[in-house]
Amino acid sequence: MGSTEAEGLPPLPAPGTALVEELDKKQLIILRDGRKLIGILRSFDQFANLVLEDAFERIIVGEMYGDIPLGLYVIRGENVVLLGQVDPTREVPANLTKVTASEIKQAQKAEKTEVMLKGTMLKRMDFLDDVG
Amino acid sequence: MATQEEDTTVKEPLDLIRLSLAERIYVKLRGDRELRGQLHAYDQHLNMILGDVEETITTVEIDDETYEEIIKTSKRHVQYLFVRGDGVILVSPPVRQ
Amino acid sequence: MLFYSYFKTLVGQQVTVELKNDLAITGSLHSVDQYLNIKLENTRVVDEGKYPHMMSVKNCFIRGSVVRYVQLPAGGVEVDILHDATRREARGT
Repeated sequence: MGSTEAEGLPPLPAPGTALVEELDKKQLIILRDGRKLIGILRSFDQFANLVLEDAFERIIVGEMYGDIPLGLYVIRGENVVLLGQVDPTREVPANLTKVTASEIKQAQKAEKTEVMLKGTMLKRMDFLDDVG
Repeated sequence: MATQEEDTTVKEPLDLIRLSLAERIYVKLRGDRELRGQLHAYDQHLNMILGDVEETITTVEIDDETYEEIIKTSKRHVQYLFVRGDGVILVSPPVRQ
Repeated sequence: MLFYSYFKTLVGQQVTVELKNDLAITGSLHSVDQYLNIKLENTRVVDEGKYPHMMSVKNCFIRGSVVRYVQLPAGGVEVDILHDATRREARGT
């Protein structure tokens, strides 16, 4: 931080080159809307706009997982939360079972409905307690 | 340079924050979060480093039957925390006598 | 540049990055850039059960704009140096 230290540091890397080492590797991308995409990183820029090849969305519900094929994606940087290299030896968490795209979509929908129902049910039960 | 006498004139908002260095301040953040801690560093974006920080998170649930508001707060302590400026709503310097 | 310079001094140390989506990741700081994008190595998600997708990820790049907090190692904060650097930065802007 001090000026003496700054002189000892190597020259600044060019802005927005942080992802060079991640090129051509399989990456997991978390988007701001919560979706998780997997694909091979082919290009990026200083905004973290990304090009993903052979991309798919990975959905996990309980013990099940499913992949929805997407193809070639250009992702606008501001929607990127995180990018992580996928360890090829453990791409799929050990305890999960693969299901089809339509099955996992259905499971995800069911899970969302259940969470909503649970919320309203709990509140109703609280109300009953008060009355009782 | 560091021993130079501190300029105590206030010409712009951030001067007030400069005068709060090493003091305990209150920071209100987006997402119903509040921090109280000692200010160790800041920049023009209001990125900050706070020390001995207490964070308070407030959640409000509305009972959809009785329309009662249930307000819950949770607190935690962090020794040193970098805070990104884009989440800051306001900073309140310590009260001066 | 104050925080960029500061984070560079923390490279190799353990930090916990808390994101605006409430995901919290602990890891060793690998690098940081001018946007305060952060790369972590040997990462561990604090609430692993809630983020099963992250189990196959050991290193990651976090976009600076999605960071809410970074919990800093106690040994990585020298308050006097920070105060001086902050005053210098304030004079410069």
